[in-house]
Amino acid sequence: MSVPMTSSAATLDVLEVGRAAQVKALALDAVEADWLRAVGLVEGVAVTVLRRAAFGGPLHLRLSTGLELAVDRALAARVEVSP
Amino acid sequence: MSAEVALTVALVGRPNAGKSTLFNALTGGTVKVGNFPGITVEAVTGQTTLEDGRALRVVDLPGVYSLVGAGDPDSDEGHALRSLDALKGSPHVLAQVVDATQLAPALRLTKELLARGQPLLLIVTQHDLLVTQGSTLDVPGLSEALGVQVVAVSAKEPGLRVKLLHAIADVARLGPSAAVRTFDDAALAARVVRHDGGLKDRLRARTERLDAVLLHPLLGPLVFLGLMTVLFASVFFVAEPVSAAIDAGTRFLAQHLEATLGPGRLTSLLVDGVLGGAGTVLIFLPQIVVLTVVLELIEASGYLARCTFLVDRLLRFVGLGGRSFVPLLTAHACAVPAIQATRIIREPGQRLRTILVLPLMTCSARIPTYGLLIAAFFGARSAWFKSAAFVALYVGGILAAFGASLVLGSRVKRAGASKPLVLELPHYRRPQARVMARLAWRTASRFVKDVGSVIVVASVVLWTLLNVPSPGGGDVVVPEGSSEKVVAMHRSLAASVGRALEPLTQPAGFDWRINVGLIGSFGARELMVGTLGVIFGIEGEDAEAPLAERLRETKTASGAPAYGVPTALSLMVFFIIACQCMSTLAAVRRETRSWRWTGFVVAYTYGLAYGLAVLVFQLGSRLLA
Ligand SMILES: Nc1nc2c(ncn2[C@@H]2O[C@H](COP(=O)(O)OP(=O)(O)OP(=O)(O)O)[C@@H](O)[C@H]2O)c(=O)[nH]1
Repeated sequence: MSVPMTSSAATLDVLEVGRAAQVKALALDAVEADWLRAVGLVEGVAVTVLRRAAFGGPLHLRLSTGLELAVDRALAARVEVSP
Repeated sequence: MSAEVALTVALVGRPNAGKSTLFNALTGGTVKVGNFPGITVEAVTGQTTLEDGRALRVVDLPGVYSLVGAGDPDSDEGHALRSLDALKGSPHVLAQVVDATQLAPALRLTKELLARGQPLLLIVTQHDLLVTQGSTLDVPGLSEALGVQVVAVSAKEPGLRVKLLHAIADVARLGPSAAVRTFDDAALAARVVRHDGGLKDRLRARTERLDAVLLHPLLGPLVFLGLMTVLFASVFFVAEPVSAAIDAGTRFLAQHLEATLGPGRLTSLLVDGVLGGAGTVLIFLPQIVVLTVVLELIEASGYLARCTFLVDRLLRFVGLGGRSFVPLLTAHACAVPAIQATRIIREPGQRLRTILVLPLMTCSARIPTYGLLIAAFFGARSAWFKSAAFVALYVGGILAAFGASLVLGSRVKRAGASKPLVLELPHYRRPQARVMARLAWRTASRFVKDVGSVIVVASVVLWTLLNVPSPGGGDVVVPEGSSEKVVAMHRSLAASVGRALEPLTQPAGFDWRINVGLIGSFGARELMVGTLGVIFGIEGEDAEAPLAERLRETKTASGAPAYGVPTALSLMVFFIIACQCMSTLAAVRRETRSWRWTGFVVAYTYGLAYGLAVLVFQLGSRLLA
């Protein structure tokens, strides 16, 4: 399921609700990563987790651009962030 | 109206940027304006006149984030890309519509569009929202940095249309910008949007307040379930008084016709054929309008996107996903646009499964039949019981779809990686009353036109077939004391066809009359009630009795009641599942590009419908006996 990642990096899925962090890298295949960047989840953007849906459902994110997104949790696990 | 087109402008932009709103402003058209990212799933075309009198064609493309990586030709990106390519070779302008509050992410798409070398105009819309946020946009600065004309507008500003036409004509004259400039999207956006602070973002504050409740881990799902229940129950409650009035009106007309024309063939054709058929369908007009408007409210308010957030996990479990929710909900009005709306599903396998189960959702064309059966066999129960029965039928459709999807899950696959949910959650907005009113009007007039054409014709054809004697129908046994016209019907061509099917349908409790109804509604299930209206119109001696009463009081040849609760239940189950709709099949064929899957939908829905109808009738007859 998960791609090997540098142990120092935290991922979006474990980010505390309400805490802002910066997107560092997208550990996804190139096409999917590009699509995500086009939506607005680019390296360098600040992101806050607003809430998590019940039963392992999606995350509700807000980007520093003001954009709000629902993002699947498994996908969030592949977004590396730094506080 | 369609003068020689001198120029075409294509509106491109991210989902929910405000394209459809501008399209309507330009053309005076009535494209559905939604607050769900990606609701324009098909290029919509309109026409208007430029200031110099030449004709301008306006194309509203589906919303896209990016055009690169539009690998899947069936996706919105694929459709948009093809439309853009098709424009080359004739005079045109690409107009990128940008939500002023979302400039940075939009500039990525600007880069892609610039690289195409087509004449480009940047329309920054929703400017009013930027202002209420206390920000200002440096339009000349942005234009300078991009090397592209930029115009900032908001949907409600006076003179909007002329301003847009000016800008479009300008870009058409100047052609594509000479040099492609390089820029960093985030840095450029930060430079040209000045945030003066002070004012707080009211739209965001309202969204936060609403989300705190509507997306609350406990309250959120409860509110969702409550709303869905109220939605389906309201179809029954809100519409009932209006339906009753329309019903009384048609019956009054029937009586009046009989009184003035006297008995005879023509009277029977008008009263039993036209009024019995079309009139009985007309009473479901309010239900269908209410449903369409409420579904639209859910979308326009921004709640629809929240629903995907809430149900994604559940839908994943049955092999669908959050994005499937949009077509699944839309299908409660009609499966045809819903099948098209599956283009927003990014995973091909998930999209196909969604298409295959969509026909099981309770579309509005089923409402008349459900309404009739409930009125006929549960008429004496309380209004609460009846509305609960309605909700149960809706839930039945949903469960059938989930079950089918679970079974199909591992078998129906298409190439393409799994695409987890990523969806924009727009701010909540107040739906515009004018847009809603227009939608209600359009739904109603389309329905009346339908009733006025297709259903009247079908009713008259059926009435004729019910009056043409069948060869060898002379010895059919008819209930004692039947009138001449009832005897004629029992011995008619249509009746003999229905009777030929009885050995097959008897286990499900369907007699020849219901069979005739089912055959009549094979291509379009909304014909069912009209068809039954004609049959029981001829049968009933009393023009005043509503169809539900006639249905309940129909006797078999031996004088026993022809139908009971088990028949009603079995017919309901059949109606939930069978795909009696040519338009749906055509849409399945169009979107899957496969006759095999189209055939599969027919086979599995009819097979399952028949099997379950038999099961329900057999169990029902034993348990309720
Ligand atoms: N305040 C404000 N709201 C706007 C303006 N233009 C559009 N909206 C709202 O923005 C939302 C999206 O508008 P649409 O025109 O449906 O957007 P679209 O780009 O066609 O969206 P898709 O069909 O999803 O691609 C709707 O709720 C509109 O009412 C504007 O200038 N000002």
